[in-house]
Amino acid sequence: MEPWRYETAEDLDQPLVERLRRFPREPDMLVYGLRSMAALTVRGWLRLWHRLEITGREHLPAADSFVMVANHASHLDALCLLASLPLSKLHRAFPAAAADYFFESVPRVWIAAVVVNALPFARQSHVRQSLALCHALLANPGNVLILFPEGTRSTTGELGRFKPGIGALLAGCDVPVVPCHLAGAIHAWPKGRALPRPTKLRLRIGEPRHFAAAVPGKESACAIAAEIEQAVRELEKNHDRD
Amino acid sequence: MNWRSAWESDVFRHYVGLVLGVLAVAGLALSIVTWVFKKDVRSIWATYRSWLVMAPLVLGGIFAGRVVVIVGLALVAGIGFKEFARATGLYRDWWMTGAVYLGIAAVGLTSLVSPPNGGPPGWYGLFMTLPVYVIALLLLVPIARNRTQGQLQALALAILAFVYIGWMFGHLGFLANAPHAYGYLLYLIFAVELNDVAAFTCGKLFGRHKFRSEISPNKTWEGALGALAVSLTLPWLLRFSFPHFGPLQLVLAGLIVGVGGQLGDLSISVIKRDVRIKDMGAVIPGHGGILDRVDSLIYTAPLFLHLVDYYYRIW
Repeated sequence: MEPWRYETAEDLDQPLVERLRRFPREPDMLVYGLRSMAALTVRGWLRLWHRLEITGREHLPAADSFVMVANHASHLDALCLLASLPLSKLHRAFPAAAADYFFESVPRVWIAAVVVNALPFARQSHVRQSLALCHALLANPGNVLILFPEGTRSTTGELGRFKPGIGALLAGCDVPVVPCHLAGAIHAWPKGRALPRPTKLRLRIGEPRHFAAAVPGKESACAIAAEIEQAVRELEKNHDRD
Repeated sequence: MNWRSAWESDVFRHYVGLVLGVLAVAGLALSIVTWVFKKDVRSIWATYRSWLVMAPLVLGGIFAGRVVVIVGLALVAGIGFKEFARATGLYRDWWMTGAVYLGIAAVGLTSLVSPPNGGPPGWYGLFMTLPVYVIALLLLVPIARNRTQGQLQALALAILAFVYIGWMFGHLGFLANAPHAYGYLLYLIFAVELNDVAAFTCGKLFGRHKFRSEISPNKTWEGALGALAVSLTLPWLLRFSFPHFGPLQLVLAGLIVGVGGQLGDLSISVIKRDVRIKDMGAVIPGHGGILDRVDSLIYTAPLFLHLVDYYYRIW
């Protein structure tokens, strides 16, 4: 008789906060339940308080893993992008969040890990490892990675330069990337303001792009970053036209 | 059991004093070992600090009354089961774990409600036959999902988890329905935990001969026998908890705690060693997981309940 194989949780000997801090996190029924309830609340609140309007949902790939990329002006951005996804994807969608901001203090860890399902991205010290983490995530089918390639929240509402890291991640990677633009967030909840104002939010989702054919390298990374940035700019213009 | 009766209960007041006294003496002893004998006992301090949190929680829960005791213990069983599921990998099977959680909730519920044909709260008949229904429910899971692979292992783990962590531990909560609930509950918890501490202390002081070397390498015959001696003495000293007990019942109460406590500890250790982990979790600093703390209570609670039920026909 073969002995049984026990697949012990990898974070068994860690206290709760450490378990939330690590990535990938072990699935947890309680966390999934809390996250689902939080998602319903957030979606209702975005719709009522911010009158969130989403266009271009049909561009979201149904089955594959994909990357969502957007401009970054407030904490509402990740919540809006998450709200554009079907609820069935909720636990497989991971917004990359600054590890130095979201994964240090305990209350923020709770929000980042439980509500947002964030991937801790070390934007200052271990960018390469963080990109490898993203890569591993996308290698599994059905995952959604949400990235803000500006690397920080814009204080003016202007779209900043996209960092080449996004290009390095996508070059030669057979995963579609969906450019998005969220308008209104800079007025709703600018950096430094404690609570959001009831400003209208409009999310526009663009057509997916592929960079599987690109040869990984510094040049292609910069080119891809520029191309996606341009795509997001186009969406921004379309907002203004409406 | 409610806060008013706890306030008026001599037994409850005695135990509050007793626990405070034991904690004070233990703190003093630890201080002497640390600062007079200059021994490094930092890990024992961590264990002691956790006791300072757990003891008021337990006493407060019992003070608050029957409902809080039963619901609280069902929550403890739920957290304990979660640790078990995470340790054995059962947590990946959400249907099976969900069914066990349901079973644990049923244990709490049957302890709370009165039987349909009237009588005092605590539906004894259904409580005692609950494993039949929960095992039937667990067997239904693979059938409903039309699955076979790995299902025997999942089923076996789930049934063990429910019966042991859910139902047998649930007997402790059911004791809250008994006429001498304060005496029974407080004696059992106090004696079982003291038995653990006695085994540890006797083992540290006199331990030479390994007890069950494969299962728990730190346990010794000296520790086990020392703890048994303490546990056999304790019911006589705490006789006020159950004034109706005769000598036979006092000896049995001591044996259940002295032997059952050790066996409960070893039972969880068998699981831990087979899975190859040290502790079931890291919830309680200095103790490990919840299961590492209540392991001995799981084994002793049903034995103790049936001891009192057999001699005094409570249900």
